[in-house]
Amino acid sequence: DPCMAVPAIVVHGGCGLLPHDLSIRERYQRGAEKAARAGWEILTRSAAESSGSTALEAVEAAVRILEDDPKFNAGRGSSLTKDGRVEMDAAIMDGRNLKAGAVSSVSTVANPVTLARRVMEQTDYVMLVASGAERFAADAGIPVTSQEEFITDMARSKLDAALRNTGTDHDTVGAVAVDKDGNVAGATSTGGLTGKLRGRVADSPLVGSGLYADNAVGASSATGHGESIMKLTLSRLALWLVEDGRSPQEATEEVVGLMGRRVDGLGGLILIDKSGRMGINTSTECITWASFNQSDGLRSGLQNPIHSGERSCMM
Amino acid sequence: LAKPYSCSDAMAACVVVHGGAWAIPDTLVVANVTGVQEAADKAWTVLSANGSALSAVEAAIRCLEDNPSFNAGTGAVLNEAGKVEMDAILMNGKDLKCGAVACVSGVPNPVTLARLVMEKTDHVMMVGSGAERLWDEAGFQRISNESLVTEAAKEEFQQFKKFHNTVDNLFKSQSADEMSTGSLGHETVGAVAVDNDGNVACGTSTGGITGKRVGRVGDVPIIGAGGYCDNAVGAASTTGYGESILKVTLARKALWLIEHGKSPKEAAQTALEEMHEKVGGCGGIIIVKPDGCTGIHFTTKRMPWAVCSQHGRKHGIEPEDLHQ
Repeated sequence: DPCMAVPAIVVHGGCGLLPHDLSIRERYQRGAEKAARAGWEILTRSAAESSGSTALEAVEAAVRILEDDPKFNAGRGSSLTKDGRVEMDAAIMDGRNLKAGAVSSVSTVANPVTLARRVMEQTDYVMLVASGAERFAADAGIPVTSQEEFITDMARSKLDAALRNTGTDHDTVGAVAVDKDGNVAGATSTGGLTGKLRGRVADSPLVGSGLYADNAVGASSATGHGESIMKLTLSRLALWLVEDGRSPQEATEEVVGLMGRRVDGLGGLILIDKSGRMGINTSTECITWASFNQSDGLRSGLQNPIHSGERSCMM
Repeated sequence: LAKPYSCSDAMAACVVVHGGAWAIPDTLVVANVTGVQEAADKAWTVLSANGSALSAVEAAIRCLEDNPSFNAGTGAVLNEAGKVEMDAILMNGKDLKCGAVACVSGVPNPVTLARLVMEKTDHVMMVGSGAERLWDEAGFQRISNESLVTEAAKEEFQQFKKFHNTVDNLFKSQSADEMSTGSLGHETVGAVAVDNDGNVACGTSTGGITGKRVGRVGDVPIIGAGGYCDNAVGAASTTGYGESILKVTLARKALWLIEHGKSPKEAAQTALEEMHEKVGGCGGIIIVKPDGCTGIHFTTKRMPWAVCSQHGRKHGIEPEDLHQ
């Protein structure tokens, strides 16, 4: 059955308004493709080269690429807080054992998703925040740098625009994957909302809200209005719907619709089930996405790729 | 979805309070039971005056935070730096509005700070000094870290330092086993309520775990884990091994089971059993539904709880007490 395709990966570079500038749209799409390709490369490594969960490796690698790319609101290029600082959040989850790692309000680490992974693998904890998280980074031998490294001109002008109420905001990056062995994993990373209050934490680093992964079902990653996602524990909810029998695409559309109706929030979700079926949906104009599997190869786009009513190999 | 379980003895307003699920020693039993009863009474005063479930839950938790016998507010356990660092959550079932704070210090009532996040900002969760600033803006008094520290907390911290060499355990805190079975350390406090208008609310508050790394956040302030509520289903507050609760979004899970037809008691039990099965760890859950039906269960040695409704008061701490 060509629809049952593992390994597979879906990444997103955030949702929001569709940029006017065509070259900007192009750059977002190419950026997402690069991340998906990096994940795919890991997922298709030979057995000799990989052990453990390549899904976990793949989502970390994909998100790192998006963090390093200053166009996306994660790592370098993160949105700025109200007082012009960078405060980043990230999380990663391993569907094999429900282990997870999360960091919030970190300012001096280039790749928050990697720091989150270290929390997961080197401590008994799930989540570390602020200076505690940065101290851990130092203890763990992860290079720390001054936050100026991550502040881009684009982020600064977005802050100006937001403070004057004139801006648009893309947000959060994420990836979900299933590997050859049926292991699933998910990861998210963000600089948060432009102009947010210091110390504000939204959905991205929160297990159940920004992401969730469980080998028994699949993995999901959310983007959009953080507080709305949190109020519905969106990622967890979507996977329960899949458990209840919805297809990934149906589940994704249902929770996005619910978010609009129940809490008047806009946003999107990507989801992959343990069989490699995918779901991608947003209630915003735009969601930057890219996917890779055997049957369809690399696909990407800036808007909802498909609705569950239409037949597709992917969904 | 399956037809929802309905309580045969439907009551109107109701509050359930818990003081944490763990291996409570005999010497602390009386203080724990008295404490939760007092908190439930405070909440009941609010409810019987037609107050909101949200205010009732806040009142109950404030009472437990002010009570030095519990690991919340005054009496909170100490982190690795010997300081108090608290987390709390408060949620409203009517509109799913929520406020949560993590790693805050210098405030006597983190649950009230959580309410400020919910009502004074557009955000749901705030950490550290960013959150504390709201306390100042509301015109409340800060307090010193020392005023929250009790002798018991200091002693527990000394014990922790004696048996856990911080150099060897640079990254790890208590052994997962100890935390997992609730055999070491105090716990969280929480409350759930339904008011005369049928609105539900939940809240949870904690000082975390003794000797935790600075900045460690457990389940309490994470929506869906430490607490969750929705007028369409009910309200839940959890307690137990934080990392496990987080991994299974325990509060949301319990309510999901109710949506699928389980009674509150069955939902609490099933959710805890599944958690133990999937990720290890013990804990407790309290639930109330909009029709006043309650569910209480725990898998640790003890958990103090109290219920107030128009039918009177109930309380317990031993597993046998759950059969009331």
